[in-house]
Amino acid sequence: MIDEKRGLGGKVVRFAVFLKCRGFKIFQSSVHDTLRCLEEISLEKKEDFFVSLRSNLATTDLEWIQFRDLFDQFWNRVNEAKNPDKDELEPERERRKEDLNEEFLPDDHVDLSTAANNSDKKEWLEGVAYSPVSMVEKKDIGRFHRGDIQVAQLALKKMMEPFKIDISRRSKRGRKSGDIDFPRVIRKSLKTGGIPFELFYRQKKKRLKRLAILADVSGSMDRYARFVMPFLLGLRGVGSRAEVFVFSTSLTPITFMVRHLNVEKALKRIAMEVPDWSGGTRIGYSLHQFNRGHGERLLNRRTVVVLLSDGWDLGGKDLLRREMAFLSRKAYSVIWLNPLAGDPDYEPLCRGMKSALPYIDYFLPADSLQSLKRVGRLLSRIMIH
Amino acid sequence: MSSHFKSIDQVVDELADSSYIADRALATVLFLAHRLEKPIFLEGEPGVGKTEVGIVMSRLFDTELIRLQCYEGLDSSTALYEWNYPKQLLHIRLEEQGKREREKIEEIIYSPEFLIKRPLLEAILRSEEKAPVLLIDEIDRSDEEFEAFLLEVLSDFQITIPEIGTIKAKKKPIVVVTSNRTRDVHDALKRRCLYHWIEYPSFEKEYKIIMVRLPGIESRFAKQVTRFMQKARSVDFLKKPGISETLDWTMALMTMQRDYLDENVVIETLGCIFKYQEDIKRFKEEIWADQETRGEYLTD
Repeated sequence: MIDEKRGLGGKVVRFAVFLKCRGFKIFQSSVHDTLRCLEEISLEKKEDFFVSLRSNLATTDLEWIQFRDLFDQFWNRVNEAKNPDKDELEPERERRKEDLNEEFLPDDHVDLSTAANNSDKKEWLEGVAYSPVSMVEKKDIGRFHRGDIQVAQLALKKMMEPFKIDISRRSKRGRKSGDIDFPRVIRKSLKTGGIPFELFYRQKKKRLKRLAILADVSGSMDRYARFVMPFLLGLRGVGSRAEVFVFSTSLTPITFMVRHLNVEKALKRIAMEVPDWSGGTRIGYSLHQFNRGHGERLLNRRTVVVLLSDGWDLGGKDLLRREMAFLSRKAYSVIWLNPLAGDPDYEPLCRGMKSALPYIDYFLPADSLQSLKRVGRLLSRIMIH
Repeated sequence: MSSHFKSIDQVVDELADSSYIADRALATVLFLAHRLEKPIFLEGEPGVGKTEVGIVMSRLFDTELIRLQCYEGLDSSTALYEWNYPKQLLHIRLEEQGKREREKIEEIIYSPEFLIKRPLLEAILRSEEKAPVLLIDEIDRSDEEFEAFLLEVLSDFQITIPEIGTIKAKKKPIVVVTSNRTRDVHDALKRRCLYHWIEYPSFEKEYKIIMVRLPGIESRFAKQVTRFMQKARSVDFLKKPGISETLDWTMALMTMQRDYLDENVVIETLGCIFKYQEDIKRFKEEIWADQETRGEYLTD
């Protein structure tokens, strides 16, 4: 019996590794607890065994849904004594190549692996570089006036003002205003024999809202390149919590470059690392990458998401709708800046824009730095009410 | 009733005795949670009976239920303990004329008598003879700071009050944590728990639940209601009706002395099933407008 159990223990550990390869979050302690659980149940019933593993190794509904399939896959395979974690990268690459099809709806399995592999830059880029729509030629992204960055900075600061302060329900010590801080008054009054001479106050804590910017740099946005780059680089002056991404057919985080490098270096690195600048647009898929890969970390009720795009989308519209719905549910507020929206005759007719519109909190025009300033004024007016 | 789970079958039986219809998977998780002394982390759509698990656990173990409802801004002074400051102040005032020394007064005003016990401290203090059930409801509503703090308490059930000392639970309380998934709960917390996702019940299960919860209902009527609800759940509404809506609705119908579903009574009581104006509108326009689908919903 003990021998048998030891063998089983090994298998369970391998199963945990197998799940980890598929994007599950597996912790050392959960594996340990799984083994402890197996001590408690009788192993004759497969269902009980399954449930014990699931309750320990799955931690989200997404994992929960996939668990049965993966369980069957692994435990049937284990009996055939195969190595479980080898042959999974190939089909995934195949999948990525297919994903330009109109009705592409990535299934959960692929998403999780993409998210997990995001750090693996090389592999990731390999997947991205294959794209029939992406143009070979790279535009000169440094083609703008350097002084514009400061202008953009000011405009952005103005724009973010209404979102900047997030009043928490937690409190901190305050100066002569707010509620009286009774614990502190009492504590300090002890030295005067219980008579409170001094009063102390508490105020609601204020914290910065978090900003996530996703900018479209596809071919159709080229006309506004003079505005987009200063806009992105302007973020270096706006609080410490801004995260910046650019997308065309897929998403690239450029926060590091924007924040930590000087302008020239940043431009060089961005040109190097964004493989499909001026390429085609798949907003839906890029949002999907954002939501899956960065959503958990970045999206919460303190996040303001700013999307900068003209809404021309080559991807499936269902995907875009779904991802926008997810975004609007998770984030505090979604702002869509559309360069075309400034035109009084403009109607959001293109398919992408139309399906995204119901999930946008503020749909605002921005095609130049001047209009960005206007946006700032507009937003502060809206937010005051 | 036994206070000790010996096998999964026993858990299934005892749950059924306490009129909680659960599938074997949930019973297994409860069993394991009890044996391993791990908290249970329950997720699921609203109204599928997550909170009910905590309540039924307290009934099974014949012990107290201590409930901590989470909300944004919940902090340690409302979850753990707080000194009763007004009472302390009054006491100091009263002692002013007396001859007691200051140290003595301090000792008095920092005694347990002046402590307001909040749910977490209560759970630890009550565990002297019998471990209570601690239900931490809707953890996703609290903020991250509180979650981090909760971790500390859940890991060793020990609280240090500087003025009194460290209080440690004699027996680990049974902890049930529920979440509606409005935000992701941190991994560190999930890692310490057994995870279970409660799904919408199947037809048989929902029927059984109605029969157990509402004794006196006719079996034919219960079946009709169940079929209606199962069908309504297959449509992608903003908020699908949960099992609690089923029970509310059936109860409402029984109060109205109905024992059969017809077209009018459904429209009259639609507010029991759907909680959003958009859903009600959609139901009326897309489903109820059509004679044929109406018939499908009302078959018995």
